[in-house]
Amino acid sequence: MNYPVWDVTFGAGLLIAIVSILHVFVSHFAVGGGLFLVLTERRALRQGDSGVLDWLRTHTKFFVLVTVVFGAISGVGIWFTIGLIHPSATSSLIHAYVWGWAIEWVFFFLEITAALLYLYGWDKLEPRLHLWYGWIYFIAAFASMVIINGIITFMLTSGKWVETHAFWTGFFNPTYWPSLAVRTAIALALAGIYALITASRLRDTSLKARMVRWSALWILPSMAVLPALIWWYIRCIPSELWASARGAMPTASHYALEAAVLAVLTFLMVLGTLIRPVRLHIAYSLLLLLAALGTMGSFEFVREAIRKPFVIANYMYDNALYATPSAADGGFSVEAIDKAGVLNTARWVQHADGTAAGREIFRVECQSCHTVDGYRGVRRLLAARQWDAGQLDAMLGSLDMMHNGVMPPFAGNDGERDALSAYLATLYHASPAPTEGAQLFERNCAVCHQSVPTDPAITAIRSLDPEAASESLKNLPALFVRMPDLKLSDQQRTALVQWIKAGGPPAQHAALVRPNGGN
Amino acid sequence: MPARDLIPSLDPIPLPAPYWVFKLLLVVTFTLHILAMNFLLGGMVLALASRWSGSRERANRLFTDIATKLPVLLPATVTLGVAPLLFLQVIYGQFFYTSSVLIAWPWFLVLVMLTVAYYGIYYVSARTHRQAGSGRWVLLASFLLIAVIGFLFSTNLTLSQTPAAWTGKYFANPSGWNLNLAEPTLAPRYLHFFTAAVAVGGLLLMLIAWLQRNSDAEYRRYIFRFGGKAFEYATMAQFAVGFWFLVSLPRDQRTLFLGDNSLATLLLVIGIAGAAAAIMVVARALRQDDYRMGALGGTATTAVVVLVMAVMRDILRDAYLKPYFHPERFVVQTQWTVLPLFLAVFLGGVALWLVMLRRYPFTATLKSGPARSGAK
Repeated sequence: MNYPVWDVTFGAGLLIAIVSILHVFVSHFAVGGGLFLVLTERRALRQGDSGVLDWLRTHTKFFVLVTVVFGAISGVGIWFTIGLIHPSATSSLIHAYVWGWAIEWVFFFLEITAALLYLYGWDKLEPRLHLWYGWIYFIAAFASMVIINGIITFMLTSGKWVETHAFWTGFFNPTYWPSLAVRTAIALALAGIYALITASRLRDTSLKARMVRWSALWILPSMAVLPALIWWYIRCIPSELWASARGAMPTASHYALEAAVLAVLTFLMVLGTLIRPVRLHIAYSLLLLLAALGTMGSFEFVREAIRKPFVIANYMYDNALYATPSAADGGFSVEAIDKAGVLNTARWVQHADGTAAGREIFRVECQSCHTVDGYRGVRRLLAARQWDAGQLDAMLGSLDMMHNGVMPPFAGNDGERDALSAYLATLYHASPAPTEGAQLFERNCAVCHQSVPTDPAITAIRSLDPEAASESLKNLPALFVRMPDLKLSDQQRTALVQWIKAGGPPAQHAALVRPNGGN
Repeated sequence: MPARDLIPSLDPIPLPAPYWVFKLLLVVTFTLHILAMNFLLGGMVLALASRWSGSRERANRLFTDIATKLPVLLPATVTLGVAPLLFLQVIYGQFFYTSSVLIAWPWFLVLVMLTVAYYGIYYVSARTHRQAGSGRWVLLASFLLIAVIGFLFSTNLTLSQTPAAWTGKYFANPSGWNLNLAEPTLAPRYLHFFTAAVAVGGLLLMLIAWLQRNSDAEYRRYIFRFGGKAFEYATMAQFAVGFWFLVSLPRDQRTLFLGDNSLATLLLVIGIAGAAAAIMVVARALRQDDYRMGALGGTATTAVVVLVMAVMRDILRDAYLKPYFHPERFVVQTQWTVLPLFLAVFLGGVALWLVMLRRYPFTATLKSGPARSGAK
């Protein structure tokens, strides 16, 4: 709200996801592919294998067209896109890490130059010199990943940076090393997966068989160590964040499962190329590439999802509000806005009354993640809950408790909360409140009480006699101050208690296999 | 709402080096970027112009000579553009992010257009390599896309320094479908850049003529003269365009260059004199068929003029932003644990880069590979 909000109808988050996933899929190839080229070339030179060298020459063209063109532009593209959608966060990353970016730029410059000289050098250079350019390319490309990895992992686990604001503290944060290891393995695997595309086009059958086998055998070791590296990575992620991917947050859990399934599929498809390497069809290679893209995309989705509600862990929420107030933050912290009001603080608002004000609050506070009808559309999400305006208002007060705390707290005064709930209530028609226990739980409780049978609130209700349990639900804020004041009827409370006591919410793992329900 | 109240607050994270360091890096890297961009855009204009006029055989050859260099000039422009974009965001983020959001969709589409133009350039380069002169329509399309991208950069940067225009645009269209066409300086400013690109495209041809020592004299002379004339005419036209740009500026900004600010005035004089000197150097080189003087003398003089213009552009921006931008309010906390590392990597990188270029046999003939018709 320091900056204007770009109103992307279908979803700003989706746009970032598309640009970023396509970029990482190519940029990891750009790193691993460099090593693949030089090692394969060196081997071919030692064996005097001109067929392999001819293939590598073609593969270099493909490599440059994919990485130097699309990789470089989409890399700048991420920057353009996050600057449009998260200007405050982009500004933070640039102010904290400008020298990191500047160092990365030097490597980027060397990388592009070396790639072009390596490409054009196939026709001009002596083998040793040609390899020399190849090695410079690979080292520069890897070095740029070494830098960017520090900044990306900083966003997920900012560690002690929040207290010190020291460059290296944030850079070498708790997930720096495991993430670097995982990304290196992915980069190496992708090099072989892309190589299968050009290898599948080879006409010389014996050469084709050898190159398909070489590429597949290149992929398998890095994919084989990946589970162990991922395990290490996960161990370094704070467990309360990782809980999101273990059922607490539908989106993260869905993509975690998808990443695992697609990784196995990719692995099996790579093994499949070894059965009859000479018969490898380009369509199969492209499907394999697609499976790898799905794996990588899901992996990045999980990382982004478990980071929520933050865009920079423990520093800035996804909606650009600071987690803790500071002297120079312009009043853009939740605490300050609760006092001053969001419409008084935000710079880019016009309306201060009624549902129009609610719409404005939605735009400045929610729209960095949500849309009305598109990506993470609130109309659909709220229609599933069927809260009336009063319930909405009560629920907004506990926003940060929902789904394992993936949303920032609502920031603003009471009148603004009313305005936002009044606006949200116009998006759908609430049906009459249900009377059946399971439905009541799904609508009113599940969003925080996560369908976990071991949830303390559920356990407490089970331990009480039905009447006392029903009585205790009369005044929820008295039970716990952050509970919404839901005014359930006697009949509803009795039905809810009966259902919980009779078995209640399904086991946690059920949430893991639930299709993506948004968050 | 008054524009002053709309200006986003400064980022609470302190500047990791003094303000002037970023300013210096911004102006220097911007100059390099704009020179690369001029070679790229101007080269495309002249390749197309020659292909659509003149003797078929020579024009095809010239087209090929330029088109095969574009796959290097475009990444050079992009890579050199990343650095000023970074430093711009460090010190002018308040203005730049805001104007970008206001024109979000056109700004985002820069990426799409650039990707398409880039592949187009590779396509033309490969095609004309096989058959000299072919691929002109694709090159025209790539050129138009890049010209539009340049226009959007002018649009964004003019908008970033005129906050008074912001509110109307944002509330009329928060989806980012805005431009800045009502801005009176936009057209002359863009033309000023575009015309410079055509002139520098002429320098590119003179440089090619100078470097192609093995080519036949008649062709060398043709591209040298074609480039030299383009440089002369474009730079002469630049006096008119530059004058238009100057008079289109609001009074307070204009008078800076007309005596109110002695540095700005001096730079304007140097810029005009430098451009005139460049024309004279090139004219003399054309008369005497002195390839070295035309290529190196013309390029060196022009590079100085471009640097001077980049500084003037910066003075103009700060004049526009005077009511809103207060560099003295920046809190500075130099990151001494990283800055020396950057300098070391930078110097090492430049050294390695030079070694890479030095070891590469640019003028050598092909070692092997399939015979190609139309190859140099």
